[in-house]
Order: sequence, then structure tokens, then C-alpha cells
Amino acid sequence: MLQPATTMLCVQSLAKKALVMVAFVALSVCGLCGASASEPEIVLHLPMSTAGPNTMDPVRGSSVYDNRACNMVFETLLEYEYLERPYKLKPCLLAEMPTVTDDGKRFRFRLKKGVRFHDDPCFPGGKGREMVADDVFYSFKRMADKRNSPKGWWLLQDTIVGFDQWRTDQNSAEEKRQAFIQQKKSAGEADYESAAPVGFDYDAPIEGMRKINDYEFEILLKQPFFRFTYTLAMFQTSVIAREAAEYYGKTISRHPIGTGPFTLRHEDWESGAFMSLKRNPDYREDYYPADPGLNEDGSEPYPGYSEDKQLGFYEDAGKRLPLADRVEVSFFVTNQPMWLKFRNQEIDYTTVPAETFEQAFIKRTQKLRQSYLDEGIRFTPVPLLDFIYNGFNMEDPDFGGYEDEKKYLRQAISLAYNYQETNQAFYNNLNIIYDGAIPPGLEGHPENHRAPKNYRGPRLSEARKLLAKAGHPGGKGLPTLVHYTSKQPQNVAMAEMAKRNLKKIGINMDVRAVDFSTLTDLQREKRAPFFGLAWGSDYPDAENNLQLFYGPFKSPGSNNFNYDRPEYNEMYERARVMAPSPERTKLYEQMRDMLIEDVPFIGSMARTRFYLTHDRLRNFKPVEVFANWPKYLTIKEN
Amino acid sequence: MWAFTIRKLIYNIPVYLATVMIMMMLLRVQDPVAGKLSKNPTQEEYDATKKELGLDKPFLQQYGLVLYEVATWRFHRNMWTEPGVTVGDKLRTAVPRSLALTIPALMLTTVISIVIAMISAFNRGRWLDRTLVFFAVLGMSISFLVYIIFGQYFGAFLLPRWLGTDVFAIYGYESPLKDWRNWPYFMLLPVLISVIVSMGYDTRFYRAVMVDETQREYITTARAKGASQTKIMFVHMLRNAMIPIVTRVMITLPFMVTGSILLEKFFGIPGMGYVLLNAIDNSDFPVIEGFTAIFAGLFILSIIATDILYAVFDPRVRLQ
Repeated sequence: MLQPATTMLCVQSLAKKALVMVAFVALSVCGLCGASASEPEIVLHLPMSTAGPNTMDPVRGSSVYDNRACNMVFETLLEYEYLERPYKLKPCLLAEMPTVTDDGKRFRFRLKKGVRFHDDPCFPGGKGREMVADDVFYSFKRMADKRNSPKGWWLLQDTIVGFDQWRTDQNSAEEKRQAFIQQKKSAGEADYESAAPVGFDYDAPIEGMRKINDYEFEILLKQPFFRFTYTLAMFQTSVIAREAAEYYGKTISRHPIGTGPFTLRHEDWESGAFMSLKRNPDYREDYYPADPGLNEDGSEPYPGYSEDKQLGFYEDAGKRLPLADRVEVSFFVTNQPMWLKFRNQEIDYTTVPAETFEQAFIKRTQKLRQSYLDEGIRFTPVPLLDFIYNGFNMEDPDFGGYEDEKKYLRQAISLAYNYQETNQAFYNNLNIIYDGAIPPGLEGHPENHRAPKNYRGPRLSEARKLLAKAGHPGGKGLPTLVHYTSKQPQNVAMAEMAKRNLKKIGINMDVRAVDFSTLTDLQREKRAPFFGLAWGSDYPDAENNLQLFYGPFKSPGSNNFNYDRPEYNEMYERARVMAPSPERTKLYEQMRDMLIEDVPFIGSMARTRFYLTHDRLRNFKPVEVFANWPKYLTIKEN
Repeated sequence: MWAFTIRKLIYNIPVYLATVMIMMMLLRVQDPVAGKLSKNPTQEEYDATKKELGLDKPFLQQYGLVLYEVATWRFHRNMWTEPGVTVGDKLRTAVPRSLALTIPALMLTTVISIVIAMISAFNRGRWLDRTLVFFAVLGMSISFLVYIIFGQYFGAFLLPRWLGTDVFAIYGYESPLKDWRNWPYFMLLPVLISVIVSMGYDTRFYRAVMVDETQREYITTARAKGASQTKIMFVHMLRNAMIPIVTRVMITLPFMVTGSILLEKFFGIPGMGYVLLNAIDNSDFPVIEGFTAIFAGLFILSIIATDILYAVFDPRVRLQ
């Protein structure tokens, strides 16, 4: 009896051991195979102050929200270094920076190999294929196709040899084709498609675009425009697959298929509510920036390096990107819910709405309150590349013109303006007031924001003297200055404040609040003598702001001021083909000072956006010049 | 009844056509094209955009297109704010979300208000009536926005901190079709706010109706016959008060589809109110036109239906 019992015990014991062994082996195998599967998913919760991007078709996009959303899914040839300042471009889809020859006109590109488009039914078998040179050309050509309602054509206009003519030819061919089809349709003919002439032909060659092989190509510019390199980092030039554009047709805006770090399925985007992006499992090899370390002489490799290091921005150096598995974007059209969600730890960061500024900050010192610091909330001020101004129409018979009297008149008006008061009343004194049209942080911006000679107000006695010099002592004989502004309550209040200040020197101003499209119309038709507007730089080069005063770009172009001085135009033409250099900086400064003297605008101001971040969100260095940063972010709970 | 309905429908066709036309004319007072252009627009881009939006066509042709969409019930034009999404698609997704918010709110408000109004009317002049009227007036006097901001702050932000668990969402929306619990989480707070706001107005209105009814002779007769208080209130009085109640509810019905612009905006519910507000902000004509055309139709139909229901509830009413 004992023996069997013992045997039974032994058998039981052996079975248990075997089970334990099997379980151990199974767990070990699982652990080896699926180490990552057992790790918690890293999910970013990011806010966006909008009802959502209008489109995720790069060529149709124009807003900052389109940019941010597209940057998670699409990629450009170049991108900005994430941490380094001042802003510096680096290869993104390219294997190396383009080589430039022929005095800066010929760009030779080499693409990274093995970059794949997201998997999607638009590809055979649903598997995304490798991106090649033809895709880059195709994406650029889409910007020329009027059927796409491209918003970014101006970026490539008058830039690449033969491209403008190609665009005209192709669009005209398409128009002829459509007219033919329409005619045959009306006539009731059935087989008109095959008989129709060729329309927009994406395969037609362009003189300035030459494919060398699948990974190499050349682009020839008309002139050595330096801005072209910045264009290659702008989301409108993102690379898109032809299959996707053709498969989805007009609904491509809702089916983003790129090569980017995250993928977005159509059903994971709910306009007005949320967008849920997932890590692209086939994302190319891309790594978090390596720690450059201090220079041999102990100096920083770039300004702000030590602070970045201290904030732990290099803890993930060398890790494969993207760091997060999912990005949950919430759209907010009002500020309170965004603020409450941040306070409730439901989103990882927020910008600080004006109405909650004093809740979070001590207004006098602009320091974050202790209670927020105790919660581990981090605060980062981000100066924006803003040019907020009040512009004159230089073709206006009363307030425009280049004669000395007209110049004195505008200088007097400028001296009566009080941007400091505006800043205090409407921006919690957070804006930067500066002279000229070049925002802080860019080459050519005046030292301490103040140009050597300026007409920054309030300097009322000087203003009165200049007004008298202009032939209008005490404002005598001057018609009412009509000021157009968009009808947001704050803009109207700011204009009313200016009206009060101008009254002090005897100038009457009539404030007309109109909606934005009317304001744009008035400018396009040169009917607004004086108007309040703002310009956000598209890329970190003052050329983008200085082109606003280039004569040939007069309304309906970007030069709303209709400023047209041959000397300025000549300087701009020289500057736009120059690479950054002390000579170019000097030229920028001359142009800046010429504008300050002529006063085609009164300004300027740049906003500072305040970002608050929860401690768990790591590697977040807020920036508004570029938007591909979600791939660098991660969550680490303490 | 059929003859009455058909006649009413025919009479209202010109009203409907004029409503749609006036709405379209008002929309076109300001040119929306400038707001759709890129940063550095050219005249060529302006013309191309105008053509793409269909605004280069004669007004009557544009008007005809909208009517054609209504007649065929195919709102196939692309939204201007979301290229690639048709107005029909948008309506199909947005309207049910609004209904998920507005129908429970209407039902709760109506039931609670009627009960309070009846209690108030039966205690007319006493402290209970005065207290209820005081709260009704108080409720009416406070702005909707105040309820939303406080509701969001206390209900969705502070309450979970006190309770240690999430009760209501501060903001956002996920479909209850995915998980039924999404409805109470995302919708219940807006519904409660809507009920609280509307209750003041409705209670005052229904109380006036009920007070009128309590003074009628049939109530005295019912009392004399020994009918219970409950029976008098819920059987005799309620039936006789149905006409104003039905009128009020029926007039409200088309607004169920519009949703609540404020609630949807502040709680991030992408229903019709939110979509419409966004469309107005961005001059998205196809959405505004499609929606207004539907809403105008519903409004006219609800007025006709109200007339018909009068006859159902009150045998004295004849449809002629």
C-alpha cells in the first residue's frame, strides 16, 4: 500500500515539477519572444485647439493644425534638428543633405533606402511599397495641379526650371479635356472618355527635375534661392504615394498614407472630437538625437544644451523612433475644457489660455505658482515668429506715398501708437515689442528689439512736430484714417485704444471691424488704407518676412502694403539668393531700417506662448516652427 | 385629415422655397472665397477657388442644386471645411449624436416640469408653490453658459477628485455604439445641465397651463364626485392640458436635430450644433445650406403635425 502511495506521491511530485518546468520554459519563451508585448503601451495625450485639421492632404493644407497632423503621418525630404537651436535642417527622407552645385542652382538628392509607405488597400496586397524618386516628383507635381486646390504652390512658384510652364500646360490640357468631355456628354455620346485628349499628365517631364535612378535625382532652380531648402522641410512638400492619391481621389484628404512615424486610419479620426494615431510598425530607422556633449573648451555645442541635458532631453539618446505606441489627439474649440483636462492629468501638456494665466502664474513676476511646481508641472515660454502690425496701403492717396510729407505723416502716427499699453491690456505684458518686420530669433532682428533709429511710440511731442512738418499741424486738413480690422472683440478693442492715442495728436481714426474674408478682399483690391494684421513666419529666415515688401508681390500677392521701392526690391533680389552670412545679415538690417524709415507699417509685436507640461511627458521641447516632434515624445510615470 | 394635410403642405411650399432662397442670398452677402485662399494668393488662385466652390455659377443654378439635393435626399456636395466628406455623410453622423443628447433632455425636462407644474398649481399660493416658482425663475435668470462652466468645473472636474473616481467626462465624445457606458460618461452631464436650464422655462409655462385648468368646472365636478387628487391631476387635468403641452413639445422637436450649440461646443460633442457652428465660423456653405433646407422642412412639418395632433387630443377640434 505504501509503495503505490509513495509511487503516487512521486508521480504527483514529478508531474508538478514537470508542470512547473513547462510553465517556466513557456514563460521564458514568451518573455524572449514578446518582451515588448508585456511592456505597457506608451500613449501620448496631446491637445489641439481646433475642431480638427481641415485636411490631411499636404498640398491642400495650410493651417498650423494641418501642419501638426500631417507631420505625424507624412515626411519631407528635410526636417529640423529637434533640440538644437538656432534651427538647423537635417535629412529626413534623404540619406544626406543635398549637394549644391552650379552656383547654388543645381540640387542633387539621394533618398534613404527602405523607406516604406504605410500599409493600405491602395497598394497591391495592402502592403505599402518602398518610396522612390518618382514619388517625390509626383508629390511636387500635385502642388501644380489645380484640381487639388493646392494651398502651397507659392512655395515652388517661379523656383524650379520649367515647372511654372509645365503647370500652365498641364492645367490647360486638363481644361481642354474637361471641356471636350462636357461637350460630348451634353451631346449624349457614350464613349467619350477614350476619345478625349490627354489631360493633366503627371508623367510629362519637367526640365528642372531629373531622375538619376530610383534613389537619386536632381532639381535645377531658376536662381539660387536659399529658401528652397526650407521649402523641403515644409509639410506641403511631404511625399505621398501616387497609388493613394489615385485610389482615394477626392477623399484623399481623409485617408493619409505617408511614410511617417504614425499611421491614421480613416475611422480613427473623428472631426471635432479626436484623432487616434498608431505607431507605424514599418517605420524607417530613425533614432533619437545623440548627446553631443560639451565642446572640448567646455562650451555648449548649441545654446540651451545644458538646460536640455538637465531636463533629461538626452535620456533617450539613440533610441529608435517613434518612442510612443499611440498618440491620442483631442480637439478643443473652447479653452476651459482643455485647461480642466490638463489639470485633471487627462492631457500631457497645454498652452495657457489668457483667462487662466493668473491662476497658474504670478502676473508680476511671470513665474509659475508654487502649487503647480509642486505637482511637477514644467513651464516653457516659446517665443513665436510673429509679426503683428498695423499696415498702410502705400498706394493710398492720403496716407500712402514716398514723399517726405507722407513719410513724416506715417512716422507721426507711429510715434502716437502705444504698443506697450496694448501689451499690458491684452497680452498680460507677455508679448515682445520690436522695431521692424523681422521677429525675434531671426537674423536681422535688432539688438534688444530696438533699432538704432526708430519711430516707436508713445513719443507724442515728436509726433506733433512731425505732423506739423507733414503739413498737418494738430491734424489739420487730414481726412479720417479708416482702420480695418477683423472683428474679434480683442482686435476691435485694440483698434479703439489706438484711436484714442491718435486723437491725442489730432488725428481722427474710424475703426471698421469686418470679418476676415472681407479684410482679405479689401487688401486684395487695395481698398484698405490702414489695417491690422499678423504674419507668422513659414520658416526661420527673415527672407520670409522681407518678401512681404517686395514690389512685384504687390496685392493681390503677399505684399499687402503695396510697398514698392526700387532700392528695396534690388536688395531683396540680392538677399534671396544668398546663404546665411554676415553680408546677408547686413543686407537684412539695411532693408529693415529702410522699412522703419518709410513706415509702411506700425509695429511690431511677437507673442510668447506659454506651455505647461506634466512631469510624465518626457523630451517635450515646445516649438512652433516645425511640428514633427511627437515622434520624440514619451511617457515615464514616476 | 388627409385633405387638410395635403392642402397645408401645398400652402407651405412657397414658404419653404422662399426660406431657402433668402438663406442662400444672405450667405452670399459676403464673399467667402478670400477666406479659403492660401497665404500668398494670386488672382488665378482666387478664380480657381471660386470655381471649385461652385460660386462662379449663376445664383439660380446654385439655388436649383440645393433644391435638387433636398428633392432627391442626396446631399452629395463635399464640405468645404472637410474636403472628401459629403454633407450627407456629415449629417448622418452628426444628427444621431445630437439626438442622443437632446431627446433624453427633452423627455426628462418635459416629464419633470409637468409634474412640478402640477404640484405647484395644486398648491397655488402656498409656500411650496412659491418656493417652486422662486427656483423656476432663478433657473431662468441664470445664463446657460454659467450652468455649463460650473457644471463642467464641479461635475466633471471636482466631483471625481472628491469621489476618487471618474463620473463625467470634462470634454470629448466616444460612440455609445462601441460601449454603452460611453453615453452616461460623455452625455449625462450635458443632459442634466440642459434639463436644469430648460426646467425653469417649462415649469413656469406648464404651471400657468395647469393653474388655468384647476379653475375649470370639470375639476370641481371631479372633486364633488370624490375622485382622488392623483386621479384628478394625472387623468382629468393632464388630458385637458395636453394641447399646450403638445404644441410646446412639437415646436421643440425640429430643434432636437439642431442639437445644442453651446452644450456641444463646450463638451466637444460633434453633433449637429457643433458642426453647424463650425460651418458658420468657416463659411461652409454646403453644410449651412443643406442643414437649413432640412431644418426648414422639419419645422414646417412639425407645425402641420401639431395641428393634426390637436384634433387627436381634443375632439372639439376639427381639421378643415
